[in-house]
Amino acid sequence: MSSQAAGERKRRKIRLEDLLNNNIWDVDPRPHIRLDTSKCRDCNYKPCVLLCPTGCYTTHGDDVLFSYEGCVECGTCRVVCPEEAITWEYPRSGRGIHFRFS
Amino acid sequence: MGDRFDVVVIGAGPAGSSAAYNLAKRGFKVALIERGRKPGSKNMFGGRVYAKPLEEAFDGLDKAPIHRWVVKERLSIVNGEEYVTLEYSGSGGKSFTTYLTDLTDWMASKAVDAGATLITEVVVDRLLIRDGRVAGIVSGSDELEADVVVDAEGVNRLVLEKSGLVERLTPRHVALGVKEVIKVEKGDIEKFFGLGEDEGLAWVFMGSVSDGLPGGGFFYTNRDSLSLGLVIYLEKAVEGMKRHIYDMVEDLRIGPLFSKYVENGRVMEYSAHMIPADPRAIRPPRLVWDGLLVTGDAAGLLINMGYTYRGVDTAAYSGMLAAKAIEEAEGDYSASSLKRYEEMLMKSYVGRDLEKFKGVHDLYMNPRLFKEYPILLTGLLRRLYEFDYGGYRLSEAFSEARRGLVSLPRIILDLLEVYRKL
Repeated sequence: MSSQAAGERKRRKIRLEDLLNNNIWDVDPRPHIRLDTSKCRDCNYKPCVLLCPTGCYTTHGDDVLFSYEGCVECGTCRVVCPEEAITWEYPRSGRGIHFRFS
Repeated sequence: MGDRFDVVVIGAGPAGSSAAYNLAKRGFKVALIERGRKPGSKNMFGGRVYAKPLEEAFDGLDKAPIHRWVVKERLSIVNGEEYVTLEYSGSGGKSFTTYLTDLTDWMASKAVDAGATLITEVVVDRLLIRDGRVAGIVSGSDELEADVVVDAEGVNRLVLEKSGLVERLTPRHVALGVKEVIKVEKGDIEKFFGLGEDEGLAWVFMGSVSDGLPGGGFFYTNRDSLSLGLVIYLEKAVEGMKRHIYDMVEDLRIGPLFSKYVENGRVMEYSAHMIPADPRAIRPPRLVWDGLLVTGDAAGLLINMGYTYRGVDTAAYSGMLAAKAIEEAEGDYSASSLKRYEEMLMKSYVGRDLEKFKGVHDLYMNPRLFKEYPILLTGLLRRLYEFDYGGYRLSEAFSEARRGLVSLPRIILDLLEVYRKL
């Protein structure tokens, strides 16, 4: 590969899931976040989708799909949800994200 | 749990560990409760800590995991590929870079060495209330009693909220910080930035990096890694986000300011955390109740000076003052007795600077700061520096750069506002 091509490759974005693979979690089998998805259909902005740093919330038509496994426990989704559809707790007993270099 | 403690501290972050350390040193029987596997594992920050208040809160800071002492400060105003940078080099030595995860672990270990009992992997669900006063904490089916509780639970402050002592957080209260820590080759940082081996660089930037939203970016040199990230104020972000926040951070990494430093690097961690935003909104109505003191981020003790944030030093300092107030209370842990904590805090540099810089948040809500002015400034300098034959006089370049962008009276009013509030 030419050095220019190497440079181009390096300037490409890393996929979010690959970024997250650098982190360590001990996922709580019991979800620490619950989402009342019935409230999401009528939500105009769905701010959780663009603001959750780890992409836990995605849209499918008017619906919001959700997974808690990649959560880094920042709490942003709970704060920005205009419908108060998110019940948010910390993961139990030492579970969840384990930062090492932050 | 069973044992009885003089003091229970919720959260082994900078505030809680400082409170526990300073209490244990004074002979109190302290339980320091942490929800993570170890102290620091849930902590994240931009990248630098101001040392002096920390030296007062903890003995032996020279043994702390300090990466680099900041000797170079940069502030950049960014408009796409163009940017204007102000650089200050001084004697430095007032602030250092580190991983907050390590620094917090060190702080908690100081508390343990002083005699505090560290209990990890325990989430505090709520306060134990007896006879209208705080009498300990509850976790699941366990109760832990104490004469007084120090709340250092951090910015989300679920415990305070559940106890009805603070309102639910709203987007106005907080900002979101997202960061990548990027490992680079040994020696790269010295080479890139002209630094000595324990010297560091702190770099903040604003403008198009936040898509015109209130917020900005940060870049810090750690020992052999770089911390690069973005802060977005949620108040305007709820309706104003144009793309995913991860995309915005990745665009920083591969963008014109930083790609040359990080292109051979490897991302070690991707983290996020909220910080207190509007200090007047997030401050609880009071910081003491009967049997309870509130410290650190939970108390909204973050100071945004406009070009730098301080949160770790203020947290540690508040923990230290909470310990002092508990000692001075001599067993009377009523709110009126603990009020001394709030008084000491507000009289200290923390309270004074919170007051002094309270207008900065209003300033940040001015959208022109993040959109029109970066365009204006880069447009001005482009005209001054880039020409083939004839050049521009300053006044010509200025009026051309601002044409159709922002009116002269508007600029004068905004400048006055910046002068008054910064």
